[in-house]
Amino acid sequence: MADLAKLQQAFVDMLTGLNPELINHIAPQPGLDAKDRAAIYHNAYRIRLTKVLEQDHEMLGRYLGDELFDQMVAGFLSHYPSQDPSLRHFGDRLPEYLVNEPPFSAHGILSEMAAFERLLLQAFDAPDDTRLSIQALQQVPANLWPNVIFTLHPSVRLLCCQFASVESWQALKQADTPPQPELSSPRYWLIVREASLRTAFHPLSHSDYVCLKTIDDGLPFSFVCEAAAGLHQDTEAGTHAVMQLLQKALNSGWLSQYTLPAHMSD
Amino acid sequence: MNASPPYLGFGLGLRTCYFEDIIQTQPDIDWLEIISENYFVDGGKPWHYLDQIKERYPIAMHGVSMSIGSTGEVNFDYLSKLKRTIHRVNPAWISDHLCFSSLGDFNSHDLLPLPYTEEALAHLSERLRIVQDFLERPLILENVSSYLTYHQSQMTEWDFLCALHHQSGCQFLLDINNVYVSARNHGFDAMDYLNAIPKQAVAQIHLAGHSDFGSHIVDTHDQPVCDAVWQLFECYAQSMPRVNTMIERDDNFPPFETLMAELNQAKALAPMSWRSHG
Ligand SMILES: [Fe+2]
Repeated sequence: MADLAKLQQAFVDMLTGLNPELINHIAPQPGLDAKDRAAIYHNAYRIRLTKVLEQDHEMLGRYLGDELFDQMVAGFLSHYPSQDPSLRHFGDRLPEYLVNEPPFSAHGILSEMAAFERLLLQAFDAPDDTRLSIQALQQVPANLWPNVIFTLHPSVRLLCCQFASVESWQALKQADTPPQPELSSPRYWLIVREASLRTAFHPLSHSDYVCLKTIDDGLPFSFVCEAAAGLHQDTEAGTHAVMQLLQKALNSGWLSQYTLPAHMSD
Repeated sequence: MNASPPYLGFGLGLRTCYFEDIIQTQPDIDWLEIISENYFVDGGKPWHYLDQIKERYPIAMHGVSMSIGSTGEVNFDYLSKLKRTIHRVNPAWISDHLCFSSLGDFNSHDLLPLPYTEEALAHLSERLRIVQDFLERPLILENVSSYLTYHQSQMTEWDFLCALHHQSGCQFLLDINNVYVSARNHGFDAMDYLNAIPKQAVAQIHLAGHSDFGSHIVDTHDQPVCDAVWQLFECYAQSMPRVNTMIERDDNFPPFETLMAELNQAKALAPMSWRSHG
Protein backbone atom coordinates (compact mmCIF):
# COMPACT_ATOMS: atom_id res chain seq x y z
CA MET A 1 0.00 0.00 0.00
CA ALA A 2 1.29 3.48 -0.87
CA ASP A 3 2.26 5.82 1.95
CA LEU A 4 -0.79 8.05 1.63
CA ALA A 5 -3.21 5.13 1.80
CA LYS A 6 -1.36 3.64 4.78
CA LEU A 7 -1.46 6.94 6.61
CA GLN A 8 -5.19 7.36 6.01
CA GLN A 9 -5.89 3.82 7.22
CA ALA A 10 -3.85 4.54 10.36
CA PHE A 11 -5.88 7.70 10.94
CA VAL A 12 -9.17 5.81 10.63
CA ASP A 13 -7.91 3.05 12.95
CA MET A 14 -6.98 5.69 15.52
CA LEU A 15 -10.43 7.30 15.32
CA THR A 16 -12.28 4.02 15.73
CA GLY A 17 -10.00 3.01 18.61
CA LEU A 18 -8.71 -0.04 16.71
CA ASN A 19 -5.04 0.90 16.66
CA PRO A 20 -3.13 3.97 17.94
CA GLU A 21 -0.31 3.51 15.42
CA LEU A 22 -1.06 6.91 13.84
CA ILE A 23 1.05 8.56 16.55
CA ASN A 24 4.17 7.14 14.85
CA HIS A 25 3.28 9.21 11.78
CA ILE A 26 2.90 12.46 13.73
CA ALA A 27 5.87 14.82 13.65
CA PRO A 28 7.11 16.09 17.03
CA GLN A 29 6.26 19.73 17.70
CA PRO A 30 6.51 22.00 20.72
CA GLY A 31 3.45 22.18 22.94
CA LEU A 32 1.38 19.03 22.64
CA ASP A 33 2.86 15.58 22.14
CA ALA A 34 1.73 13.24 19.36
CA LYS A 35 -0.71 11.40 21.60
CA ASP A 36 -2.49 14.62 22.59
CA ARG A 37 -2.65 15.75 18.97
CA ALA A 38 -4.26 12.48 17.88
CA ALA A 39 -6.62 12.72 20.86
CA ILE A 40 -8.00 16.06 19.59
CA TYR A 41 -9.27 14.25 16.49
CA HIS A 42 -10.40 11.17 18.40
CA ASN A 43 -12.44 13.29 20.84
CA ALA A 44 -13.89 15.48 18.10
CA TYR A 45 -15.03 12.36 16.24
CA ARG A 46 -16.83 10.93 19.26
CA ILE A 47 -18.33 14.24 20.33
CA ARG A 48 -19.63 15.07 16.86
CA LEU A 49 -21.38 11.71 16.42
CA THR A 50 -22.68 11.69 19.99
CA LYS A 51 -24.27 15.09 19.34
CA VAL A 52 -25.99 13.73 16.24
CA LEU A 53 -27.62 10.90 18.22
CA GLU A 54 -28.54 13.31 21.04
CA GLN A 55 -30.30 15.59 18.55
CA ASP A 56 -31.98 12.82 16.56
CA HIS A 57 -33.01 10.81 19.64
CA GLU A 58 -33.70 13.38 22.31
CA MET A 59 -36.57 11.51 24.02
CA LEU A 60 -34.78 8.16 23.87
CA GLY A 61 -31.93 9.99 25.61
CA ARG A 62 -34.25 11.18 28.36
CA TYR A 63 -35.72 7.69 28.72
CA LEU A 64 -32.29 6.07 29.10
CA GLY A 65 -30.62 8.77 31.22
CA ASP A 66 -27.09 10.05 30.59
CA GLU A 67 -25.12 7.00 31.65
CA LEU A 68 -27.02 4.42 29.57
CA PHE A 69 -27.23 6.82 26.65
CA ASP A 70 -23.44 7.21 26.65
CA GLN A 71 -23.09 3.42 26.85
CA MET A 72 -25.45 3.09 23.89
CA VAL A 73 -23.53 5.67 21.83
CA ALA A 74 -20.20 3.96 22.53
CA GLY A 75 -21.60 0.56 21.58
CA PHE A 76 -23.36 1.87 18.49
CA LEU A 77 -20.26 3.71 17.29
CA SER A 78 -18.15 0.57 17.52
CA HIS A 79 -20.78 -1.69 15.88
CA TYR A 80 -21.98 0.73 13.23
CA PRO A 81 -19.43 3.41 12.29
CA SER A 82 -20.91 6.02 9.99
CA GLN A 83 -21.16 4.75 6.41
CA ASP A 84 -22.91 7.69 4.81
CA PRO A 85 -21.36 11.07 3.96
CA SER A 86 -24.48 12.69 5.38
CA LEU A 87 -24.81 12.81 9.17
CA ARG A 88 -28.58 12.54 8.92
CA HIS A 89 -28.19 8.82 8.16
CA PHE A 90 -25.74 8.03 10.95
CA GLY A 91 -28.45 6.78 13.33
CA ASP A 92 -30.42 4.81 10.74
CA ARG A 93 -29.32 1.49 12.25
CA LEU A 94 -29.86 2.49 15.87
CA PRO A 95 -33.17 0.55 16.17
CA GLU A 96 -31.35 -2.53 14.83
CA TYR A 97 -28.54 -2.06 17.36
CA LEU A 98 -30.98 -1.68 20.26
CA VAL A 99 -32.98 -4.75 19.34
CA ASN A 100 -29.85 -6.93 19.17
CA GLU A 101 -27.46 -5.70 21.84
CA PRO A 102 -27.77 -6.27 25.58
CA PRO A 103 -28.62 -4.67 27.91
CA PHE A 104 -30.86 -2.70 25.51
CA SER A 105 -32.30 -5.75 23.74
CA ALA A 106 -34.05 -6.81 26.97
CA HIS A 107 -36.32 -3.76 26.65
CA GLY A 108 -38.20 -3.80 23.34
CA ILE A 109 -39.52 -0.30 23.89
CA LEU A 110 -36.04 1.18 23.32
CA SER A 111 -35.72 -0.02 19.75
CA GLU A 112 -39.31 0.98 19.05
CA MET A 113 -38.81 4.50 20.41
CA ALA A 114 -35.67 4.86 18.30
CA ALA A 115 -37.62 3.66 15.25
CA PHE A 116 -40.36 6.21 15.96
CA GLU A 117 -37.79 9.02 16.17
CA ARG A 118 -36.21 7.85 12.88
CA LEU A 119 -39.65 8.02 11.22
CA LEU A 120 -40.14 11.58 12.49
CA LEU A 121 -36.82 12.51 10.86
CA GLN A 122 -37.76 10.75 7.63
CA ALA A 123 -41.07 12.60 7.47
CA PHE A 124 -39.28 15.89 8.10
CA ASP A 125 -37.25 15.83 4.89
CA ALA A 126 -39.28 13.50 2.68
CA PRO A 127 -39.98 14.69 -0.89
CA ASP A 128 -42.64 17.35 -1.44
CA ASP A 129 -45.78 16.45 -3.35
CA THR A 130 -49.28 17.68 -3.96
CA ARG A 131 -52.09 16.93 -1.46
CA LEU A 132 -55.12 15.27 -2.97
CA SER A 133 -58.35 17.30 -2.65
CA ILE A 134 -61.93 16.10 -2.35
CA GLN A 135 -62.75 18.15 -5.46
CA ALA A 136 -60.22 16.23 -7.55
CA LEU A 137 -61.70 12.93 -6.40
CA GLN A 138 -65.22 13.96 -7.34
CA GLN A 139 -64.19 13.72 -10.99
CA VAL A 140 -63.88 9.94 -10.71
CA PRO A 141 -66.96 8.21 -12.24
CA ALA A 142 -68.69 5.94 -9.70
CA ASN A 143 -68.09 2.75 -11.73
CA LEU A 144 -64.34 3.30 -11.69
CA TRP A 145 -63.99 3.73 -7.94
CA PRO A 146 -63.03 0.10 -7.26
CA ASN A 147 -59.98 0.58 -9.52
CA VAL A 148 -58.71 3.83 -8.04
CA ILE A 149 -55.18 3.54 -6.66
CA PHE A 150 -54.29 6.14 -4.06
CA THR A 151 -50.77 7.33 -3.27
CA LEU A 152 -49.86 8.30 0.26
CA HIS A 153 -48.06 11.63 0.64
CA PRO A 154 -44.30 10.84 0.50
CA SER A 155 -43.87 12.00 4.11
CA VAL A 156 -46.44 9.52 5.49
CA ARG A 157 -45.03 6.74 7.68
CA LEU A 158 -47.06 3.98 9.36
CA LEU A 159 -46.01 2.42 12.62
CA CYS A 160 -47.33 -0.54 14.60
CA CYS A 161 -46.20 -0.45 18.25
CA GLN A 162 -45.93 -3.44 20.58
CA PHE A 163 -44.93 -1.09 23.43
CA ALA A 164 -46.04 2.31 24.73
CA SER A 165 -43.26 3.97 22.74
CA VAL A 166 -45.14 6.93 21.33
CA GLU A 167 -46.96 7.55 24.63
CA SER A 168 -43.61 7.49 26.42
CA TRP A 169 -42.12 9.83 23.85
CA GLN A 170 -45.00 12.26 24.42
CA ALA A 171 -44.69 12.05 28.21
CA LEU A 172 -40.95 12.69 28.10
CA LYS A 173 -41.43 15.60 25.73
CA GLN A 174 -43.67 17.19 28.36
CA ALA A 175 -41.23 16.23 31.14
CA ASP A 176 -43.79 13.75 32.55
CA THR A 177 -43.17 10.20 33.76
CA PRO A 178 -43.58 7.69 30.93
CA PRO A 179 -46.28 5.00 31.32
CA GLN A 180 -45.57 1.26 31.78
CA PRO A 181 -43.99 0.01 28.54
CA GLU A 182 -46.26 -3.04 28.13
CA LEU A 183 -49.46 -2.76 26.10
CA SER A 184 -52.48 -5.07 26.22
CA SER A 185 -52.68 -4.93 22.42
CA PRO A 186 -50.65 -3.25 19.65
CA ARG A 187 -51.20 0.43 18.84
CA TYR A 188 -51.00 2.09 15.45
CA TRP A 189 -49.69 5.47 14.37
CA LEU A 190 -49.39 7.62 11.29
CA ILE A 191 -46.58 10.17 10.98
CA VAL A 192 -46.78 12.94 8.40
CA ARG A 193 -45.24 16.27 7.52
CA GLU A 194 -48.20 18.62 7.36
CA ALA A 195 -48.63 21.27 4.66
CA SER A 196 -47.37 23.80 7.25
CA LEU A 197 -44.09 21.73 7.30
CA ARG A 198 -44.75 20.71 10.92
CA THR A 199 -44.18 17.00 11.59
CA ALA A 200 -47.23 15.45 13.26
CA PHE A 201 -48.36 11.99 14.37
CA HIS A 202 -51.85 10.58 14.79
CA PRO A 203 -53.24 7.43 16.44
CA LEU A 204 -54.92 5.02 14.05
CA SER A 205 -57.46 2.26 14.60
CA HIS A 206 -56.35 -1.21 13.58
CA SER A 207 -58.75 -1.05 10.65
CA ASP A 208 -57.41 2.33 9.45
CA TYR A 209 -53.84 1.06 9.80
CA VAL A 210 -54.58 -2.01 7.68
CA CYS A 211 -56.39 0.09 5.06
CA LEU A 212 -53.54 2.59 4.82
CA LYS A 213 -51.04 -0.29 4.58
CA THR A 214 -53.11 -1.67 1.70
CA ILE A 215 -52.94 1.73 -0.02
CA ASP A 216 -49.21 1.92 0.71
CA ASP A 217 -48.80 -1.47 -1.00
CA GLY A 218 -50.21 0.10 -4.17
CA LEU A 219 -53.45 -1.90 -4.18
CA PRO A 220 -56.69 -0.50 -5.65
CA PHE A 221 -59.59 0.82 -3.62
CA SER A 222 -61.61 -2.41 -3.88
CA PHE A 223 -58.82 -4.20 -1.99
CA VAL A 224 -58.89 -1.51 0.68
CA CYS A 225 -62.65 -2.04 1.11
CA GLU A 226 -62.18 -5.81 1.18
CA ALA A 227 -59.55 -5.51 3.91
CA ALA A 228 -61.88 -3.35 5.97
CA ALA A 229 -64.85 -5.68 5.37
CA GLY A 230 -62.74 -8.57 6.62
CA LEU A 231 -61.81 -6.73 9.79
CA HIS A 232 -65.35 -5.49 10.46
CA GLN A 233 -66.83 -8.85 9.42
CA ASP A 234 -69.41 -6.89 7.44
CA THR A 235 -69.16 -5.27 4.01
CA GLU A 236 -71.34 -2.30 4.85
CA ALA A 237 -69.57 -1.52 8.12
CA GLY A 238 -66.25 -1.95 6.32
CA THR A 239 -67.19 0.45 3.54
CA HIS A 240 -68.45 2.96 6.08
CA ALA A 241 -65.11 2.79 7.95
CA VAL A 242 -63.17 3.23 4.69
CA MET A 243 -65.25 6.26 3.68
CA GLN A 244 -64.61 7.85 7.07
CA LEU A 245 -60.90 7.12 6.77
CA LEU A 246 -60.85 8.59 3.26
CA GLN A 247 -62.52 11.76 4.49
CA LYS A 248 -59.98 12.08 7.30
CA ALA A 249 -57.06 11.31 4.98
CA LEU A 250 -58.16 13.96 2.47
CA ASN A 251 -58.74 16.59 5.15
CA SER A 252 -55.38 15.87 6.75
CA GLY A 253 -53.32 15.77 3.55
CA TRP A 254 -52.25 12.13 3.89
CA LEU A 255 -52.85 11.41 0.19
CA SER A 256 -51.01 13.02 -2.68
CA GLN A 257 -52.78 11.64 -5.74
CA TYR A 258 -54.85 8.91 -7.30
CA THR A 259 -54.41 6.96 -10.50
CA LEU A 260 -56.61 4.75 -12.60
CA PRO A 261 -55.29 1.84 -14.67
CA ALA A 262 -54.65 3.25 -18.17
CA HIS A 263 -57.43 1.34 -19.99
CA MET A 264 -60.02 2.47 -17.42
CA SER A 265 -59.42 6.20 -17.42
CA ASP A 266 -61.75 7.14 -20.29
CA MET B 1 -11.76 23.98 -16.08
CA ASN B 2 -10.35 26.87 -14.04
CA ALA B 3 -12.50 29.86 -14.89
CA SER B 4 -12.64 32.23 -11.92
CA PRO B 5 -15.99 32.66 -10.22
CA PRO B 6 -17.63 36.09 -10.53
CA TYR B 7 -16.95 38.73 -7.89
CA LEU B 8 -20.17 39.06 -5.91
CA GLY B 9 -18.97 40.93 -2.83
CA PHE B 10 -19.67 40.16 0.84
CA GLY B 11 -21.70 37.13 1.87
CA LEU B 12 -22.96 35.11 4.81
CA GLY B 13 -23.29 31.41 5.53
CA LEU B 14 -26.98 30.55 5.20
CA ARG B 15 -28.03 28.44 8.18
CA THR B 16 -31.48 27.13 9.15
CA CYS B 17 -31.93 29.51 12.07
CA TYR B 18 -31.58 32.55 9.77
CA PHE B 19 -34.08 31.46 7.08
CA GLU B 20 -36.91 33.56 8.49
CA ASP B 21 -34.70 36.61 9.20
CA ILE B 22 -33.47 36.65 5.63
CA ILE B 23 -36.85 36.13 4.00
CA GLN B 24 -38.57 38.71 6.17
CA THR B 25 -35.96 41.47 6.36
CA GLN B 26 -34.28 41.00 2.93
CA PRO B 27 -30.97 42.22 4.36
CA ASP B 28 -28.27 43.88 2.28
CA ILE B 29 -26.09 40.81 1.62
CA ASP B 30 -24.44 40.23 -1.75
CA TRP B 31 -24.62 36.43 -1.71
CA LEU B 32 -25.20 33.44 0.58
CA GLU B 33 -23.34 30.18 1.00
CA ILE B 34 -25.20 26.95 1.74
CA ILE B 35 -23.82 23.65 3.05
CA SER B 36 -24.40 21.47 -0.01
CA GLU B 37 -25.18 18.24 1.88
CA ASN B 38 -28.05 19.90 3.79
CA TYR B 39 -29.90 20.01 0.48
CA PHE B 40 -29.36 16.39 -0.53
CA VAL B 41 -32.84 15.75 0.90
CA ASP B 42 -35.82 15.68 -1.41
CA GLY B 43 -38.12 18.16 0.29
CA GLY B 44 -39.31 19.79 3.47
CA LYS B 45 -38.03 22.92 5.16
CA PRO B 46 -34.55 23.30 3.61
CA TRP B 47 -35.88 23.49 0.06
CA HIS B 48 -39.01 25.38 1.04
CA TYR B 49 -36.82 28.24 2.28
CA LEU B 50 -33.96 27.96 -0.18
CA ASP B 51 -36.31 28.12 -3.17
CA GLN B 52 -37.52 31.51 -1.90
CA ILE B 53 -34.10 32.82 -0.87
CA LYS B 54 -32.36 31.92 -4.12
CA GLU B 55 -34.88 34.05 -6.01
CA ARG B 56 -33.35 37.12 -4.35
CA TYR B 57 -29.71 36.18 -3.55
CA PRO B 58 -26.94 34.48 -5.51
CA ILE B 59 -25.95 31.21 -3.83
CA ALA B 60 -22.57 29.53 -3.45
CA MET B 61 -22.45 25.83 -2.54
CA HIS B 62 -19.98 24.66 0.08
CA GLY B 63 -19.58 20.93 0.70
CA VAL B 64 -18.16 19.21 3.77
CA SER B 65 -18.16 15.51 2.78
CA MET B 66 -16.55 15.08 -0.62
CA SER B 67 -13.33 13.78 0.91
CA ILE B 68 -11.40 14.65 -2.22
CA GLY B 69 -8.06 13.60 -0.71
CA SER B 70 -9.26 10.10 0.19
CA THR B 71 -7.38 7.15 -1.28
CA GLY B 72 -10.63 5.15 -1.19
CA GLU B 73 -12.67 4.77 -4.35
CA VAL B 74 -14.32 7.89 -5.76
CA ASN B 75 -17.84 8.06 -4.31
CA PHE B 76 -19.94 8.59 -7.44
CA ASP B 77 -23.14 8.21 -5.46
CA TYR B 78 -22.14 11.28 -3.46
CA LEU B 79 -21.08 13.13 -6.61
CA SER B 80 -24.41 12.32 -8.29
CA LYS B 81 -26.31 13.80 -5.36
CA LEU B 82 -24.08 16.85 -5.48
CA LYS B 83 -24.62 17.25 -9.20
CA ARG B 84 -28.39 16.95 -8.81
CA THR B 85 -28.29 19.64 -6.12
CA ILE B 86 -26.11 21.87 -8.31
CA HIS B 87 -28.71 21.65 -11.08
CA ARG B 88 -31.49 22.67 -8.73
CA VAL B 89 -29.58 25.50 -6.99
CA ASN B 90 -27.61 26.86 -9.97
CA PRO B 91 -24.85 28.21 -7.70
CA ALA B 92 -22.35 30.93 -8.56
CA TRP B 93 -19.58 28.46 -7.63
CA ILE B 94 -18.99 25.32 -5.59
CA SER B 95 -16.36 24.45 -3.01
CA ASP B 96 -15.28 21.70 -0.61
CA HIS B 97 -12.26 21.06 1.60
CA LEU B 98 -8.65 20.17 0.91
CA CYS B 99 -8.60 17.11 3.16
CA PHE B 100 -9.91 13.58 3.48
CA SER B 101 -12.85 12.65 5.66
CA SER B 102 -13.81 9.15 4.56
CA LEU B 103 -11.99 5.97 3.63
CA GLY B 104 -13.96 3.20 1.97
CA ASP B 105 -17.25 2.87 3.85
CA PHE B 106 -15.97 4.75 6.88
CA ASN B 107 -17.00 8.40 7.32
CA SER B 108 -15.32 10.43 10.04
CA HIS B 109 -17.44 13.56 9.41
CA ASP B 110 -14.29 15.52 10.16
CA LEU B 111 -11.84 17.40 7.94
CA LEU B 112 -8.67 15.33 8.33
CA PRO B 113 -5.33 16.74 7.20
CA LEU B 114 -3.33 15.33 4.30
CA PRO B 115 0.43 14.99 4.36
CA TYR B 116 2.15 17.55 2.12
CA THR B 117 3.90 15.15 -0.21
CA GLU B 118 4.40 14.69 -3.96
CA GLU B 119 2.23 11.58 -3.71
CA ALA B 120 -0.65 13.54 -2.16
CA LEU B 121 -0.25 16.26 -4.81
CA ALA B 122 -0.48 13.77 -7.66
CA HIS B 123 -3.43 12.07 -5.99
CA LEU B 124 -5.33 15.34 -5.48
CA SER B 125 -4.68 16.53 -9.02
CA GLU B 126 -6.08 13.28 -10.38
CA ARG B 127 -9.12 13.36 -8.07
CA LEU B 128 -9.80 16.99 -8.98
CA ARG B 129 -9.77 16.06 -12.63
CA ILE B 130 -12.26 13.21 -12.08
CA VAL B 131 -14.57 15.28 -9.89
CA GLN B 132 -14.54 18.35 -12.12
CA ASP B 133 -15.14 16.25 -15.23
CA PHE B 134 -18.08 14.58 -13.53
CA LEU B 135 -19.58 17.82 -12.18
CA GLU B 136 -18.71 19.72 -15.37
CA ARG B 137 -17.52 22.71 -13.38
CA PRO B 138 -14.52 23.81 -11.34
CA LEU B 139 -14.28 22.91 -7.68
CA ILE B 140 -12.77 25.44 -5.27
CA LEU B 141 -10.87 23.96 -2.32
CA GLU B 142 -10.74 25.33 1.22
CA ASN B 143 -7.72 25.02 3.51
CA VAL B 144 -8.63 23.20 6.74
CA SER B 145 -7.24 23.89 10.18
CA SER B 146 -5.10 21.13 11.65
CA TYR B 147 -3.78 19.97 15.00
CA LEU B 148 -0.96 17.74 13.82
CA THR B 149 1.67 17.46 11.10
CA TYR B 150 3.14 14.30 9.60
CA HIS B 151 6.67 12.93 9.35
CA GLN B 152 5.87 12.20 5.68
CA SER B 153 5.36 15.87 4.76
CA GLN B 154 7.98 17.18 2.36
CA MET B 155 6.84 20.81 2.12
CA THR B 156 4.87 23.48 3.96
CA GLU B 157 1.11 23.65 3.61
CA TRP B 158 1.36 26.86 1.55
CA ASP B 159 3.95 25.37 -0.81
CA PHE B 160 1.60 22.43 -1.21
CA LEU B 161 -1.28 24.75 -2.17
CA CYS B 162 0.95 26.64 -4.63
CA ALA B 163 2.07 23.38 -6.22
CA LEU B 164 -1.51 22.14 -6.47
CA HIS B 165 -2.56 25.39 -8.12
CA HIS B 166 0.26 25.12 -10.65
CA GLN B 167 -0.44 21.45 -11.39
CA SER B 168 -4.21 21.56 -11.60
CA GLY B 169 -5.15 25.22 -11.98
CA CYS B 170 -7.50 24.89 -9.04
CA GLN B 171 -8.48 27.89 -6.95
CA PHE B 172 -8.83 28.19 -3.22
CA LEU B 173 -11.26 29.31 -0.62
CA LEU B 174 -8.88 30.72 1.97
CA ASP B 175 -10.28 30.46 5.46
CA ILE B 176 -8.24 33.06 7.29
CA ASN B 177 -9.34 31.72 10.64
CA ASN B 178 -8.14 28.24 9.65
CA VAL B 179 -4.78 29.68 8.61
CA TYR B 180 -4.59 31.44 11.98
CA VAL B 181 -5.58 28.28 13.90
CA SER B 182 -2.96 26.16 12.11
CA ALA B 183 -0.34 28.91 12.46
CA ARG B 184 -0.87 28.94 16.23
CA ASN B 185 -0.96 25.14 16.49
CA HIS B 186 2.15 24.61 14.38
CA GLY B 187 4.08 27.78 15.13
CA PHE B 188 4.32 29.39 11.69
CA ASP B 189 3.56 32.96 10.60
CA ALA B 190 0.06 33.23 9.13
CA MET B 191 1.12 36.08 6.83
CA ASP B 192 3.86 33.89 5.32
CA TYR B 193 1.14 31.44 4.38
CA LEU B 194 -1.28 34.03 2.97
CA ASN B 195 1.37 35.93 1.03
CA ALA B 196 2.63 32.74 -0.58
CA ILE B 197 -0.67 31.88 -2.28
CA PRO B 198 -0.78 33.29 -5.85
CA LYS B 199 -3.35 36.12 -5.98
CA GLN B 200 -5.12 34.62 -8.97
CA ALA B 201 -5.58 31.36 -7.04
CA VAL B 202 -7.83 32.93 -4.38
CA ALA B 203 -11.53 32.71 -5.22
CA GLN B 204 -13.11 33.25 -1.82
CA ILE B 205 -12.33 34.10 1.80
CA HIS B 206 -13.94 32.70 4.94
CA LEU B 207 -13.85 34.59 8.22
CA ALA B 208 -14.84 32.65 11.32
CA GLY B 209 -14.18 32.17 15.03
CA HIS B 210 -12.42 29.52 17.09
CA SER B 211 -11.95 28.32 20.66
CA ASP B 212 -8.66 28.91 22.44
CA PHE B 213 -7.56 26.13 24.80
CA GLY B 214 -4.21 27.69 25.65
CA SER B 215 -2.03 24.78 24.53
CA HIS B 216 -3.82 24.72 21.18
CA ILE B 217 -6.79 26.33 19.43
CA VAL B 218 -9.67 24.56 17.75
CA ASP B 219 -11.55 25.71 14.69
CA THR B 220 -15.04 25.51 16.22
CA HIS B 221 -16.73 28.16 14.04
CA ASP B 222 -18.94 28.96 17.03
CA GLN B 223 -17.43 32.27 18.16
CA PRO B 224 -17.16 35.79 16.73
CA VAL B 225 -14.19 36.49 14.46
CA CYS B 226 -11.35 37.37 16.84
CA ASP B 227 -9.21 40.52 16.69
CA ALA B 228 -6.13 38.69 15.45
CA VAL B 229 -8.09 37.23 12.51
CA TRP B 230 -9.59 40.66 11.70
CA GLN B 231 -6.06 42.08 11.66
CA LEU B 232 -4.85 39.31 9.37
CA PHE B 233 -7.76 39.89 7.03
CA GLU B 234 -7.22 43.66 6.94
CA CYS B 235 -3.51 43.30 6.28
CA TYR B 236 -4.00 40.56 3.65
CA ALA B 237 -6.85 42.33 1.86
CA GLN B 238 -4.71 45.45 1.26
CA SER B 239 -2.43 43.36 -0.95
CA MET B 240 -5.22 41.67 -2.88
CA PRO B 241 -7.56 42.38 -5.76
CA ARG B 242 -11.15 42.01 -4.57
CA VAL B 243 -12.10 38.53 -3.30
CA ASN B 244 -15.56 37.19 -2.39
CA THR B 245 -15.57 37.35 1.41
CA MET B 246 -17.89 35.69 3.85
CA ILE B 247 -18.65 35.34 7.56
CA GLU B 248 -18.99 31.66 8.44
CA ARG B 249 -20.78 30.67 11.64
CA ASP B 250 -21.69 27.01 12.23
CA ASP B 251 -22.83 26.81 15.85
CA ASN B 252 -23.74 28.87 18.92
CA PHE B 253 -25.70 31.11 16.58
CA PRO B 254 -26.02 34.76 17.62
CA PRO B 255 -28.93 37.04 16.65
CA PHE B 256 -28.89 37.77 12.93
CA GLU B 257 -27.94 41.43 13.53
CA THR B 258 -24.70 40.31 15.19
CA LEU B 259 -23.64 38.48 12.03
CA MET B 260 -24.62 41.49 9.92
CA ALA B 261 -22.40 43.63 12.15
CA GLU B 262 -19.50 41.24 11.50
CA LEU B 263 -20.21 41.40 7.78
CA ASN B 264 -20.13 45.21 7.93
CA GLN B 265 -16.85 45.05 9.81
CA ALA B 266 -15.40 42.92 7.01
CA LYS B 267 -16.59 45.51 4.47
CA ALA B 268 -15.08 48.33 6.52
CA LEU B 269 -11.69 46.59 6.76
CA ALA B 270 -11.49 45.68 3.06
CA PRO B 271 -10.07 48.15 0.52
CA MET B 272 -12.59 50.55 -1.11
CA SER B 273 -12.28 48.72 -4.43
CA TRP B 274 -13.84 45.58 -2.87
CA ARG B 275 -17.09 47.43 -2.25
CA SER B 276 -18.03 47.92 -5.89
CA HIS B 277 -19.21 44.88 -7.77
CA GLY B 278 -21.37 43.84 -10.65
FE1 LIG C 1 -14.31 27.75 6.44
